[in-house]
Amino acid sequence: MKYFIQFAQSHEEFRLPELESLAKIENVKISYNNEEYRKNCPFLIVDIDTEKEATQLIKRAILIRNIYELWGVGKTYEEVHTQVKSKPERWSPYDYKSFKFLVSAFGSTCSSDYQVRIINSFAYLGFKGDIDLKNPEVQFGVLEDYRLDPYLNLPPSEPYTIYFGRLVASGNRDLIQTYNLKKRRYIGNTSMDAELSLIMANQALAAPGKLIYDPFVGTGSFLLTCAQFGAFTMGSDIDGRQIRGQTNRSIKSNVEQYNLNRKVLDTLVFDICHHPLRDNLWFDSIVTDPPYGVRAGAKTLGRKYPLKRPLTPKLLDGIPAHKREDYYPPTKPYEMSEVLSDLLDFAAKYLVVGGRLVYWLPTVVDEYSNADLPEHPSMRLISNSEQNFGKWARRLVTMEKFKENIIGEHANVHNAKGLDNISFVYHRKDDVSNEKAHSTNEKGKKKLGHYLFREKYFSLKSEEKINREQTWTRYKNQIQNDDGNHTTAPSSSSTTTEIKSCDKSSKEGNNT
Amino acid sequence: MRLITHNMLQCHAKNCNSNNFPLQLSQVEIVNQETEFNPMFLRNMLPKLEWNALVKTALQINVTLPTVLPESTTDDLDEEFLKTLHGILLETHILQGAMTCPNCNRVYPIKDGIPNMLLNETEA
Repeated sequence: MKYFIQFAQSHEEFRLPELESLAKIENVKISYNNEEYRKNCPFLIVDIDTEKEATQLIKRAILIRNIYELWGVGKTYEEVHTQVKSKPERWSPYDYKSFKFLVSAFGSTCSSDYQVRIINSFAYLGFKGDIDLKNPEVQFGVLEDYRLDPYLNLPPSEPYTIYFGRLVASGNRDLIQTYNLKKRRYIGNTSMDAELSLIMANQALAAPGKLIYDPFVGTGSFLLTCAQFGAFTMGSDIDGRQIRGQTNRSIKSNVEQYNLNRKVLDTLVFDICHHPLRDNLWFDSIVTDPPYGVRAGAKTLGRKYPLKRPLTPKLLDGIPAHKREDYYPPTKPYEMSEVLSDLLDFAAKYLVVGGRLVYWLPTVVDEYSNADLPEHPSMRLISNSEQNFGKWARRLVTMEKFKENIIGEHANVHNAKGLDNISFVYHRKDDVSNEKAHSTNEKGKKKLGHYLFREKYFSLKSEEKINREQTWTRYKNQIQNDDGNHTTAPSSSSTTTEIKSCDKSSKEGNNT
Repeated sequence: MRLITHNMLQCHAKNCNSNNFPLQLSQVEIVNQETEFNPMFLRNMLPKLEWNALVKTALQINVTLPTVLPESTTDDLDEEFLKTLHGILLETHILQGAMTCPNCNRVYPIKDGIPNMLLNETEA
């Protein structure tokens, strides 16, 4: 049977991967025309065997608002009506039910007059039940697609497509409010927002009976969302202070707040590079947001500058420092390529076959290509969705372990290991443009979209600042010239004051 | 820390590669914390556990378990056995205590239910 899905207006690149994950979790066979899906349009027609399966499919969907049984679709209302009229047997079950009609347009607005006119055009359905806007027994939707023309960047004068159908079920977007960070007792500056945390749990196929692990647990967002969907969860972090938080505000208090004590098993303190787990296929999925050093520096055990003298344990109040409760060992920066290769190797070793690794990868947009993604002989790529922030982006990567790990096989992070060598760190202040001019390294290989991400992220920021300052200087010079030429356009006086005030504030900014 | 987690952990100090499991519990403060009874999960985890280590650890906190796993496939384990297992693996929660490596005697503390497995500089 044909249905149509109405997606939520966010995270367009994540919609189809989530839909596919849901189909896998709920074991529902779906088919749709991949070429029909447009990122700039929230509708998709899918084939599903039964209504029960359609309901099942989207019951935990985050990026799906509704699913409708498709009664008619076309470019014009005539086409829609013809299709609806061709199957009167579909209407009769609803003859005496209370009902509601909804008319809405994507990319446009419908006046109430227009809505009434459209609803009346369906009068031939002849429903005799009451109209009930609050709790109807059955709901119908007319949805018009006025998506922007990608070339003109304007909405069309007529809708591309009109969909009409009966509402079958709605997704679970209420969960986004439940897990809203603003309502969560304990969060940190790297806590993942609720919507994405929930999508990640779907990507990880979180479900009852499974064990899901986060090796960079931080403040524990994924422990909560994966447990919400029934999985048992476990996390670890090198920084125990994040796990413990403060009195009454900790991962533990979050677990209690959401009443997930029955699901969140444990949090432990250790460095994933030196972990104490026995060799076994413990985990059904690994869900994580590795620290890449944009907001929180990635750290691993060790020292940035090796000691020259032999190590002797330090004593504090007569107790060896490392035995104190608040001990935090010396750490060194953890390069992104190392984080990635360790993470993939860990996943290949500790996931069950069929288990998933779901993680974030930051990239510089202009330099990214799909070939940059890390690979592993036992892992295959399931999906890769971008969340764009302008010049940089992060990608949610979902991988599946599809075969047994063979000892000695390692992740391929495309030689990135050799790339984040120390000389670049020392020379990074030299000149960014110089670095950009050579988009290949000595070996002639193309640089990766996440290569030296941290340095680039911060230099993009400073570049933006320089650009802004240059623009101001240009304006200033222009205005001085204008003054010299005694041009007295009425608007220029106001512009001058505006620029001056901004100029002043930018100078103040420089002084501070 | 629940006992299921304990069964996953071994000493990982440098050069401590044998006889480093199970970590021996001592000075423990135990609470029972309700956890969802999920037979599917237990069947999923059972083949991965070291049974002897679990029996030994249970004894350290005065719980007796059958010394051998019932002679049946994990699919038709009876409910009563699974419930016992559930109580030990998932509901027994070690709030405070220490875990000692049987090989190198390294002590890993457990505080407020959180085991600290972090190595110091010389051990990593």
